[in-house]
Amino acid sequence: MIVLTIAGAWWLRSTNGALLYETYNLLSRPLHLGTNREQKFENSYILELQQRLIELERQNQLLQAFSDYADSVPQPTVKAAVIGRSADHWWQHIILNRGSRHGVEPGYVVSGPGGLVGRVVEVSPSTCRVLLISDLTSHVGAKVSRSRAMGIVQGQSKNQVIIEFFDKFPDAKVGDVVITSSYSRLFPKDMPIGRIESMDNTKGRAPKAVIQLSSPLSILEWVVIQPFHPVESVDDPPVPSSHDSTKPQGRRSS
Amino acid sequence: MTVGVGGILQSQLWRARLWNSLVTAGSALLCLMLLPGRAPGLELLGVAPHWVLIWVVAWSVKRTVWEGAIAGLVMGLLQDSMTAAYPTHTLGLILVGVLTAQLQKDRYLQEDLVSTALIVFAIAVVNETVLALQISLDQLFNPDSPYPLATKIWFYHQRVALSSAILSSLWAPVFHYPLNQWWKTHNKLMSAK
Repeated sequence: MIVLTIAGAWWLRSTNGALLYETYNLLSRPLHLGTNREQKFENSYILELQQRLIELERQNQLLQAFSDYADSVPQPTVKAAVIGRSADHWWQHIILNRGSRHGVEPGYVVSGPGGLVGRVVEVSPSTCRVLLISDLTSHVGAKVSRSRAMGIVQGQSKNQVIIEFFDKFPDAKVGDVVITSSYSRLFPKDMPIGRIESMDNTKGRAPKAVIQLSSPLSILEWVVIQPFHPVESVDDPPVPSSHDSTKPQGRRSS
Repeated sequence: MTVGVGGILQSQLWRARLWNSLVTAGSALLCLMLLPGRAPGLELLGVAPHWVLIWVVAWSVKRTVWEGAIAGLVMGLLQDSMTAAYPTHTLGLILVGVLTAQLQKDRYLQEDLVSTALIVFAIAVVNETVLALQISLDQLFNPDSPYPLATKIWFYHQRVALSSAILSSLWAPVFHYPLNQWWKTHNKLMSAK
């Protein structure tokens, strides 16, 4: 009996809790979000903005076609509701109600209103688990949108993250927008992350800045999952200089 | 005639055992299902009560050290399956099971709700400390560790351990009381038969 129970628990662990999350999805279904009047009103406003965006994107594509811009084909995205959060206190996860049956795969990128949220780490038939960029283990290659100063964004387990710059004297100031850089392996480039809230140039080797995330991670209700296949090849250096590729953060940079 | 009475007794015993297993497994599953949920009012600094820990304490309080350890292992494996294999929750929860059973054996633990809340408070801190220790060890000895510096981990540990301890100890009676009443009645029934 004891062996059977332990074996059962071990088997569940080896499936990464797929069965548990399926059950959770089933049990919590009545609590999932529907749309109310206010949301409908908001949705129509969003729809208007989306339509404007589509028009702008189309114009942008035409312009980019002129300048030989590669891979700008928009891919279909999946909308998902946040049905749960991390099952312990140390990880920063969210659980979404879309899984492999809806075409979600590990590595897909999740964004919410405001910008980048995280990436899918585990998928079950109808749920998926997303590692948020605010997680302590999360590292994202990023740059300051205005000056292209590069760095690595690290999670702090709250709605603020820290960017550690590569340069000794980065061209960055409070209020600057930070986006994912093209050297990021696990995230597509140019996704908004947040705004610099304060700079810390004084202590330590590398200058740092605190970023207020533009996506309200703690109260997220709806997110968008977009297909993305991480660049796994180790041949490309994660940062321009060859020295940085040997740095631990560089290897982990995502 | 005696065979008939024995048969009825046997079937009643089996039914009681089946119900007991169902209640035990069902309550454990319910705790696991509560983990990812964040009902309004159940959060403190982004931390929710540690339902699995509450269950392991409720289970171990009137059992042997070994039974406590096994429950900790099983629930730890299940919680690992819902988060990630490292840092593992098994170590912390095994310790929780062992400590609770030992404290009860040493008669430090009374049956009232206040001492239950106190014990859950202390044990929740122990559980979070085991996790923080694992992360610190990984940070110290693994050159590719994705974790930040130990000072940051322990600063975060303070916040998590305190919130988790407060909330878990407040919510512990919700599972502790009915489960222990159930097991008490079940054991009485079994010994009577």
